Amino acid sequence: MIGGLEFSMPDLVKNVPQLAFPHLRMFHVNAVTIGWLSMGYVGSVFHMVPTLCKTKLWNERLGNMTMWAWNLVLVGAFCTLLNGNTEGREYAELGAVLDVMVAVALVLVALNIYMTILNRRVKKLYVSLWYFLGSLFWFPLVYIIGQRTFVALPGLNDAIIGWFYGHNILGMWFTTIGVGMMYYLLPRLTQAPLYSHGLSMLGFWGIALFYAPTGTHHILQSPVPEWLKAIAVISSIFLLVPVLTVLTNFFMTMKGRWGMAVTDLPLRFAVTSCMFYLVTCVQGPFQATRWVNWYLHFTQWVVGHAHLALLGTFSFILSSAVYYSLPRLTGREFYSQGLIRAHYWLKFLGFLLMMTSLTIAGLVQSAGWAFNIPVDQWSLQIRPYWFLRGISGIMIVLGQFLFAYNVWKTLYTKPAATAAPAAKAAEVKA
Amino acid sequence: MHSYRLGAIGIVVTFFVIIFSTVLMPMVLFNPKPNDRSNQYSRIPKNIADAERGRKIYVREGCFYCHTQFTRLQDRGYGPLVKAGDYVWETPHQLGTARTGPDLTNEGGRMASEWQKAHLIQPRAVKPGSIMPSFSYLNERDMNDLVAYLQCLGNRREVHAFVEAPDEYRTTTPAGVALHNRKTVDTNASASANAGRGIYTQNCAVCHGLNGLGEGPNATALEKKPPNFSRPYYKQYSDEFWFYRVSEGVPGTRMPRWIETLTEEQRWYLVAYLKTLPQDSEITINNLNQIDKVEDIRLPKLSNQQYEPHHGGHGGHSEGSGDNMSPSEHQMPGQTTPPATKTPSSTTGTSTESGTSKTDGHGAEHKEGGH
Repeated sequence: MIGGLEFSMPDLVKNVPQLAFPHLRMFHVNAVTIGWLSMGYVGSVFHMVPTLCKTKLWNERLGNMTMWAWNLVLVGAFCTLLNGNTEGREYAELGAVLDVMVAVALVLVALNIYMTILNRRVKKLYVSLWYFLGSLFWFPLVYIIGQRTFVALPGLNDAIIGWFYGHNILGMWFTTIGVGMMYYLLPRLTQAPLYSHGLSMLGFWGIALFYAPTGTHHILQSPVPEWLKAIAVISSIFLLVPVLTVLTNFFMTMKGRWGMAVTDLPLRFAVTSCMFYLVTCVQGPFQATRWVNWYLHFTQWVVGHAHLALLGTFSFILSSAVYYSLPRLTGREFYSQGLIRAHYWLKFLGFLLMMTSLTIAGLVQSAGWAFNIPVDQWSLQIRPYWFLRGISGIMIVLGQFLFAYNVWKTLYTKPAATAAPAAKAAEVKA
Repeated sequence: MHSYRLGAIGIVVTFFVIIFSTVLMPMVLFNPKPNDRSNQYSRIPKNIADAERGRKIYVREGCFYCHTQFTRLQDRGYGPLVKAGDYVWETPHQLGTARTGPDLTNEGGRMASEWQKAHLIQPRAVKPGSIMPSFSYLNERDMNDLVAYLQCLGNRREVHAFVEAPDEYRTTTPAGVALHNRKTVDTNASASANAGRGIYTQNCAVCHGLNGLGEGPNATALEKKPPNFSRPYYKQYSDEFWFYRVSEGVPGTRMPRWIETLTEEQRWYLVAYLKTLPQDSEITINNLNQIDKVEDIRLPKLSNQQYEPHHGGHGGHSEGSGDNMSPSEHQMPGQTTPPATKTPSSTTGTSTESGTSKTDGHGAEHKEGGH
């Protein structure tokens, strides 16, 4: 069960023209999405669902098997992507064999969780379970549709499906599981009941309805049909509704207990994550409107936004989940509280630095495009920001190393589970 | 148990509604027809280099993470706009999401193949300040194929026909010579275009629209609609022709004589801007056989002239009414006569492996002015 928690949090240092940056980029994206976030998510879900259902995981051997399958995929991805064996579809670069493995593993995970929930001993389904149920149904399908491994669609249709997948890996997987985890962690950590079950349901169905069609806002200015763009823009803006509902719920739960975030480290991670979630989700709908998109698209601003979601929000909540659940699973305290603090501050400050530099770089680039200034002239102007971004990347990677080291020390009886990923992270950084 | 079942049904139904609306519906409703402007990789003989294999290398090396392949309305100087039909054969799509480097939609023929190769090996040798990584680890064959692919991009979105300004605006008459002697504005420079952009926004955009598509707010109230400057026809305009149009207006329409309000310098700045408006790769029909025929609808008898871009299209727009050109001057796109191109002063466009001469003077100018 614990083996699902794995850490590879690469971050790219892009301040110098790097050998084969595109290959690193492919691996970066896949390692973050498939490796770090998905594996961590599944690990946390494997812990949370049985707790919430007051029962054991349906099939623990199956759980271990999916864990190994997933790790195998990551090793495969490392070998193939860095050598350029890619399908050439952003976010879906993995080759056919690995695709099938991920899909099978996902279906097995879903089966495992569904059976666990069916065997539950509490009658009412907590809202986190709704999120997990939804995500585990949606994501395998989205993944299978999105990979397009065995079909060759005409170019623009390929792009439409591609961004359906590219955005829904966020919307129907990272967001829904991440928010589900927040729903689990916040009340647990603060020892307070959730503010409103009704609001949480509204948030859930809102996300379920409005998230999935938003993908086309990534290609808002390409010649895809206007009605599809309209659907994407409108549902992007409607997303504000569930997001604000969810956050109202969290913040009202936190009301009067904000002080706890100072002393309770997992809670601090969770609250930071909520704050970044607010920022990223207010930013998102604005970027998706046509006239903001007109100016900001294609630039580092968008890259900053993606990092805000995946790193700022979901990586933080995942760290929080690990810090919360690991002591409860192993019955041991964490090896070092100081290391957790160091991890937090390195990651937090590193991320703020990264976000700021990317956003400013994005604005410089936008101006460059809007005023028709040739690329090689403004690319020099944003070099300082890329340098800052490099520094922030080093900070975050350092933070993740401390995290991995801390976890490894905590479970040194089972070093095999985490030694490999630590080495992997080292390779990626190099 | 009951509420659980209801919820589960809800999750399934929601998901399939969304799959239907955003995945299945576009697959069924959105089937752009392939057109003759898509990239043609067989252009370069296989014994020289394999452009199709070059595309695979483009994918393998992940070029699309930093280079996009679609031009937007606001991308002035990146060549003609794209149409949905251009992408029918392009899979996996290489539209891209971020422009850390320039757009490559119409890259073909913009630079010499030797230049492209040198740029792949050491970008900073030919473009100081570039942050592109070096791809010197590619072997000779990969490199050649990749360059062949780049040279195929967008080279079929061409401008064919050509028009001229009246004599008094050209150097064939003393008045024209005097006009050109007074001219201080470099109409090919990005700086001039940016200056013209402000003048355009203040004076022209109310009718012509912000991007020159002829959809400004005033346009709804006009009997004769303002033209769509993104149409290929307008890319044939010489500087003098633009200057003539801006100065004298279009008789019979609401287009004013700007000679009354704008200084000569301002009008030249406007010309510089208007030249950088993007081009829509619209298909103009030369001959009735090319139209998709619907058997039970009888088409009215049309002459070539009525289908000519000056007169046809955009709701009887302002162009045709004013000029007295004879039909022989109205050359059709796709006609067999070699186009009288405005050859850009730079020669880089002509020394590609296959001897393509890029007729998109517009793109070449950009390169000259900027890169």
